[in-house]
Amino acid sequence: MTTSLADHLRSLPDDSLAALLQQRPDLVVPVPADLGALATRARSRVSVARALDGLDQFTLQILDAARLTRHPDEGTTTVEAVLATATAGPNPPAPDTVRAALRRLRDLFLLYGPEGGLRVVESVDEVSPYPAGLGRPASELDPATAALCADPAKLRRTVLAAPASARAILDRLAAGPPVGSVPPGALQAPATGAEGSVPPDPTNGGAPTGSPVRWLIDNRLLVLVSGGRAGATGTVELPREVGLLLRRDTGPLGPLRTAPPPVAAAPREPKAVDSAGAGQAMEVVRHTEALLEQLSVEPVPLLRSGGLGVRELRRLARAVGLDEPTTALLLEVAYAAALLGALDLPGATTGRYGADQQVLPTAGYEVWRTGSLAQRWEQLARGWLAMSRQAGLVGQRDDRDRPITVLSPEAERAGAPAARRAVLGVLADLAPATAPTVDEVLALLEWRSPRRSRGRETAHRQVLTEAATLGVTGLGALTSYGRLLLAEVTATDERGQEDPLGLLAEGAGGEPSTAVRALDALLPAPVDHFLVQADLTVVVPGPPEPALAGELEAVAEPESAGGASVHRLTTASIRRALDAGYSGDDLHALFARRSRTPVPQGLTYLIDDVARRHGGLRAGSAGGYLRSDDEALLAEVLADRRLESLALRRLAPTVLVTPYQSKLLLTTLRDAGYAPVPEDASGAAVLARPKTRRAPTRVPASRAVDPLATPRLAMPRLLGVVEQIRRGEAAARAARRAPASVRTAAGARTGPVPVHSHADAIAVLQQAVRDKALVWVGYVDAHGATASRLVRPVSIGAGYLRAEDERTEMLHTFALHRITAAVREK
Amino acid sequence: MSGGPLIVQSDKTLLLEIDHPDAQACRMAIAPFAELERSPEHVHTYRLTPLGLWNARAAGHDAEGVVDALITYSRYPVPHALLVDVAETMDRYGRLQVANDPVHGLVLRGLDRLVLIEVAKSKKLAGMLGAKIDDDTIAVHPSERGRLKQALLKLGWPAEDLAGYVDGEAHPIELAEAGKNGGKPWTLRSYQREAVEAFWAGGSGVVVLPCGAGKTLVGAAAMAEAKATTLILVTNTVAGRQWKRELIARTSLTEDEIGEYSGERKEIRPVTIATYQVLTSRRKGAFTHLDLFGARDWGLVVYDEVHLLPAPIFRFTADLQARRRLGLTATLVREDGREGDVFSLIGPKRYDAPWKDIEAQGWIAPAECTEVRVTLTDAERLAYATAEAEERYRMAATARTKLPVVRALVRRHADDQVLVIGGYIDQLHQLGEYLDAPIVQGSTTNKERERLFDAFRAGEIRTLVISKVGNFSIDLPEAAVAIQVSGTFGSRQEEAQRLGRVLRPKADRRQAHFYTVVSRDTIDTEYAAHRQRFLAEQGYAYTIVDADDVLGPSLPTVD
Repeated sequence: MTTSLADHLRSLPDDSLAALLQQRPDLVVPVPADLGALATRARSRVSVARALDGLDQFTLQILDAARLTRHPDEGTTTVEAVLATATAGPNPPAPDTVRAALRRLRDLFLLYGPEGGLRVVESVDEVSPYPAGLGRPASELDPATAALCADPAKLRRTVLAAPASARAILDRLAAGPPVGSVPPGALQAPATGAEGSVPPDPTNGGAPTGSPVRWLIDNRLLVLVSGGRAGATGTVELPREVGLLLRRDTGPLGPLRTAPPPVAAAPREPKAVDSAGAGQAMEVVRHTEALLEQLSVEPVPLLRSGGLGVRELRRLARAVGLDEPTTALLLEVAYAAALLGALDLPGATTGRYGADQQVLPTAGYEVWRTGSLAQRWEQLARGWLAMSRQAGLVGQRDDRDRPITVLSPEAERAGAPAARRAVLGVLADLAPATAPTVDEVLALLEWRSPRRSRGRETAHRQVLTEAATLGVTGLGALTSYGRLLLAEVTATDERGQEDPLGLLAEGAGGEPSTAVRALDALLPAPVDHFLVQADLTVVVPGPPEPALAGELEAVAEPESAGGASVHRLTTASIRRALDAGYSGDDLHALFARRSRTPVPQGLTYLIDDVARRHGGLRAGSAGGYLRSDDEALLAEVLADRRLESLALRRLAPTVLVTPYQSKLLLTTLRDAGYAPVPEDASGAAVLARPKTRRAPTRVPASRAVDPLATPRLAMPRLLGVVEQIRRGEAAARAARRAPASVRTAAGARTGPVPVHSHADAIAVLQQAVRDKALVWVGYVDAHGATASRLVRPVSIGAGYLRAEDERTEMLHTFALHRITAAVREK
Repeated sequence: MSGGPLIVQSDKTLLLEIDHPDAQACRMAIAPFAELERSPEHVHTYRLTPLGLWNARAAGHDAEGVVDALITYSRYPVPHALLVDVAETMDRYGRLQVANDPVHGLVLRGLDRLVLIEVAKSKKLAGMLGAKIDDDTIAVHPSERGRLKQALLKLGWPAEDLAGYVDGEAHPIELAEAGKNGGKPWTLRSYQREAVEAFWAGGSGVVVLPCGAGKTLVGAAAMAEAKATTLILVTNTVAGRQWKRELIARTSLTEDEIGEYSGERKEIRPVTIATYQVLTSRRKGAFTHLDLFGARDWGLVVYDEVHLLPAPIFRFTADLQARRRLGLTATLVREDGREGDVFSLIGPKRYDAPWKDIEAQGWIAPAECTEVRVTLTDAERLAYATAEAEERYRMAATARTKLPVVRALVRRHADDQVLVIGGYIDQLHQLGEYLDAPIVQGSTTNKERERLFDAFRAGEIRTLVISKVGNFSIDLPEAAVAIQVSGTFGSRQEEAQRLGRVLRPKADRRQAHFYTVVSRDTIDTEYAAHRQRFLAEQGYAYTIVDADDVLGPSLPTVD
């Protein structure tokens, strides 16, 4: 078979191959090496799935018919067989439509081969396992079932004998898909009608309920495909033969829908649709501008995880007066239209680049603002059509149960632009100003590309809501300018292949697109005048010109906005205008020029009154001042050329000010021969003597020391020195000459002090006390160290020896038990 | 773009350009569902509110019609979202009904079961609903009818009240349009007729008409329509007597049929006029006179000057939901912001007419409003600058500098009847001495008041100094000039009521003048601006002049 598709492709002329590649462009990415490779790719699962995705429901059903009619051994079918199957049911479709569908399938090479030997590309079976929602033939499932199916009369009897609950299950599976899951334990229960086979269980509430699935399996109408044993979830399949039998009334393919489901809604007035849409378009532009203005006044930080915080969104929504979903949508659209961007704030909380970002309007916003309403709307609408974001997800929770925020990566959906095209495409294919209900749109989508729409109903509903919010649709129907825009965008996309630089795109040369022109015709023209009323309101009966808008922003408070705008003049707003540089006369002229109605006297008076008081108090800054009660003196200072550098200015006859600091003022004045006195903040004179700089106080060197001069010493002092030296010498000698017996006794650390030597030492000491003689005493001090000392014992008593050290002239006390030796000084 | 007169704003305000040829038709189309908010000279502002839309729904207008009117007259495309919102809001009305069940009495019936379940669970309705009768019906305590409706309104599910009104005790009342006791024949003015019809069709509600436009006659016509015993609630005794005089003159009622229930007299007759004051007077903490509401089977209750309705009366009005109620006012601006309560308890606004329209029809005198700015003397300015914040308004409002200006104004209108109105008694006494004019104040007895007012009406007194008592319901038809020297801070409705004193059409169609004397550069100016806001929104353009222009020798000519 492989060879046959490749062979078939080889036999094709060039243009047929080109037609195939055009219809299935994914086959040439990358360009296959030869026709064999092309054939392999065309049979691949991914490519086949793509081809199937684009098919409508009817064509898919015809493909199913081809699959069902394949010869079990050869795997081929014929056009005749397909036709026979397709027209078997009630309301058979016209053979031509079936042939057209077959032609389309053959063009896509999902079917190939001659009319009498059509083959189905086999990966179709992998992509959609159950053709027409029918199960596998019984022979592939279970021999017992196959036996039952081989006897049509018996099969019919069995089906008719099914209890009502079992029949309901059969009908559901027959409508497709033909497999169902069985809850755990369902197969342990007795079959319906066989409840009596199990003894009643009084503790759990009487007789058990019968299981219809068990009945069906027992009677071979369903086949258990997997699981189902001992409490596991099982899967059952309805054999093809049973399914076909049950579809006797609808035909083997189920109900066939050759044409898209009709739309019941009566078409609306096209003008009303356009008008409602244009009104909404105006709103969207205005709200977006308000939102961006708010962001430029108060930029909002981006979360680390991307996106704006939930609270920030709520605050923004409140500030602009919108609900949160709309605010989220407008933010996303403005971002997609490059009106919003993120700005890095390095160092706000960390030094890391890109860690802290703020969302605020881009430079493109300035350009956008200057465009006409329609142009601004177009930019937003194009951004919306192209953005791969699903704004409707904002506010919901993601897989990890975290809220999805605006501009966060979680709201990214690659399929979003395609979903928008699909939905708007459905609307565009209807007659102008047809307003189908949401369910009708979904049904149409389901028919057009069932494989693509399944599971995307929520996204499609959101697209419809967003389109209404943005004014692409009005009163539920596609607006005329929305239709034009869609056509342009589609055309640009198609041309995009040949014109990657967009040189041919409409509007590239500054020419507004047809959509813009159509919308422009619907929107109010800008006005250059307003109406002033006695209650001090200013009504601009339409969108103001930029110049007028600027003037009003300066002089009035906005009160109500929309198609027209209402502003209120207050004392504060007039004062603001005066602050901004308008004079009273300018304001009078402004109102006289712009107002279509006579300016009320109250306003004239208000302007005069505010202008009169404006500037009554003046504030400024100065570096220093000069005051004097002597006006003539100040005049002299002001006129003094030498003081020109101070840039003195007269505030009052008695006060001059300078932008420079008072210190410079003082010195310059003094240099010029004046005698100014500085004063402090309370006006008291500051009396300052000249202050000289000093280092910290030091002690003076008292005498000059000549390092070479010999010091002169007095004789008594010299003698003292000599004596000191000698005593030290004696002590040193004595220390050196401590008797060996003392030294060894003191050094004997191991073992206790021998008793005899201790007793001898005491005797020596007692004798020395009596003789007042010098004795070397060896002892162990408190830290366990041994020492010896030359002392003159004074007394012995109570376990202590008191002795005098001649060298230091101190009285020492020795514990007797610590004394190790004592030797008379010779 | 249809080029229509209406601009629909996204904040649900509607701007109507008056000078547009279709303006009148547009007004007729939007009046049933949009509320007139401001009516200055060029562009009137209406507002779409849920309440207004529901009232329109109650009166039989559907969302399609409203949307159609908006689209037909709108100059610019109407935002889709607004149209959807209108339709959704109107759709909320009538999902619940308050109805009389033959078996269970008053019941709340849900046409949408989910809504009924939702509101039945609400805490705000606790205690108002009784037993559940079936899935769609819940019993309602008859005494809670008003409160229930009010609470449902706040929940956003307004109930349609099908329970109807009691007829009350019948009593024949006719309008005496042919003239009575030799009086001249007269007819109800067109707008009065429209107001009565709008009221009667709606059952209960508020009629807003400018001061001097004949609200009493609307009341009388409503009584003639009801032909039942009527309770009329008024602000004070003098106003009550005026009502009585008017009713005797304009209807078939005789003096014996009308009772006065006030501090002085306690009469209960088929038509009884009671003052708010006596009804809210308490003895030992209990309202002793509230039995009046149950004293007779009243078929109609009329609330005069409904913007002054005191809070206790609100509470008892909630119990009167089965009776027809008519509220009358010139300025439905309550400084306490309780307009919503008036609407939900008395009823929605049934009729409203721009002041300037009625002036154009000649039913009220054209008035010229002038603000005279007085420059304080340096001593006064210094005193003002150093005064405590709470004393500042009094200091500015009662500045002596105002006296010569007031005298100059009085002299300028030497041929007219002049009212000088102020809020501070000391200042009024100064004025009285300075102008040599009598004073009517709170402590003046009713007898003395009547005497002074009669003398003023007769032209024996040319200048009258009155305090706040003159704010309401005194009928002085020939007063053509009012000079306001001080007031209750920034009260908008006080300003309107004071202007109303001079709006009665004059015999020779003279113009009325309203002066307000204000101290320049003080808080007095700010309050004045706030006070004037209501009238400015009604299209009264204030001219501001300096006191020197008034005092100066070359007086501008005034016709």
